[in-house]
Amino acid sequence: MPALPQLYPYKAGPIEMVVMPGETVGVWINKVYEFFKVEYIETIPRSDPIEQNFGIIAAGAITGVTQLALLEMPNLEFGQFRAEVEDDFSAILSQGRADQRHKLFTRVATYTRFTHLHDPCGHTTEFYVHEDQFAFVQAQNLTDYALTISRIVFHGFRYVLEKLKGYDWKEGKLPDQWTRIPATAHL
Amino acid sequence: MASPYRQPARGIRKSGPIVTIAAAGVAEVLYQQTNLGQNPRTVIIRKIMTYTNVGNCVVDIGIGLAPLVNIIPTIFLLNTFDNEWTEDEIPEVEVSADITVQSDILGCQVQIEVEEIGS
Repeated sequence: MPALPQLYPYKAGPIEMVVMPGETVGVWINKVYEFFKVEYIETIPRSDPIEQNFGIIAAGAITGVTQLALLEMPNLEFGQFRAEVEDDFSAILSQGRADQRHKLFTRVATYTRFTHLHDPCGHTTEFYVHEDQFAFVQAQNLTDYALTISRIVFHGFRYVLEKLKGYDWKEGKLPDQWTRIPATAHL
Repeated sequence: MASPYRQPARGIRKSGPIVTIAAAGVAEVLYQQTNLGQNPRTVIIRKIMTYTNVGNCVVDIGIGLAPLVNIIPTIFLLNTFDNEWTEDEIPEVEVSADITVQSDILGCQVQIEVEEIGS
């Protein structure tokens, strides 16, 4: 009998779904978990339309905080993505615009070309976008020359949800089994 | 077939421009260190490709401009030959500076591929 898959966020190895259809997720939004049933899951392959190109970045220059419109999710959906930087710049991920991800007490870790070198599967770059909790990226050219092309590519899964009523994380009314989805920063 | 001496990648591979030596005995930058991140990256030369049709010449690769301090021994270029060294043949010298080059004759061409270590 095949073993049940062990599914959870940030799992090392090639990207996998974090839940199966029909299972329950708690999506971390604005410091509370909201509960949903997963209705449908679709793959988002690593391909050209899911590539953000910041274009020309002058030597040492930093772009503005740019919304990743290509990762926008409609209502009652969330996306699971991993990032790969293709050119020699660093990328800071934020969810909302001022809330940086991959954050320590004093520093923010960025994605660079070195990320994929040391984490080939990209599991440390994994993040989740729920509805209008948009993702933003700010890029910095790390080199002494202008970059003419500055690409970051994403791939992952799209989940279609159904709202579950009767559960409230603050009041401690929780489903029996559920998977935590860190869709916003933990400030 | 990959050399058994070759190490797993520690950094990312990049190439500098083709530098045509502008003046005999005067050092110039061959590869500019990436140093605009949180910390400068260190650099290891992995490949050297050269060409001369201006006569046999010697090429020094090192750090610093005045003077250039060699980080590998002087190399000798045969006229009208392309002269190449790959990473199996180059000492793994890691520096935190721009890589510079000079020759005893102007007009020869030098390009290097490096591995940049850091983040």
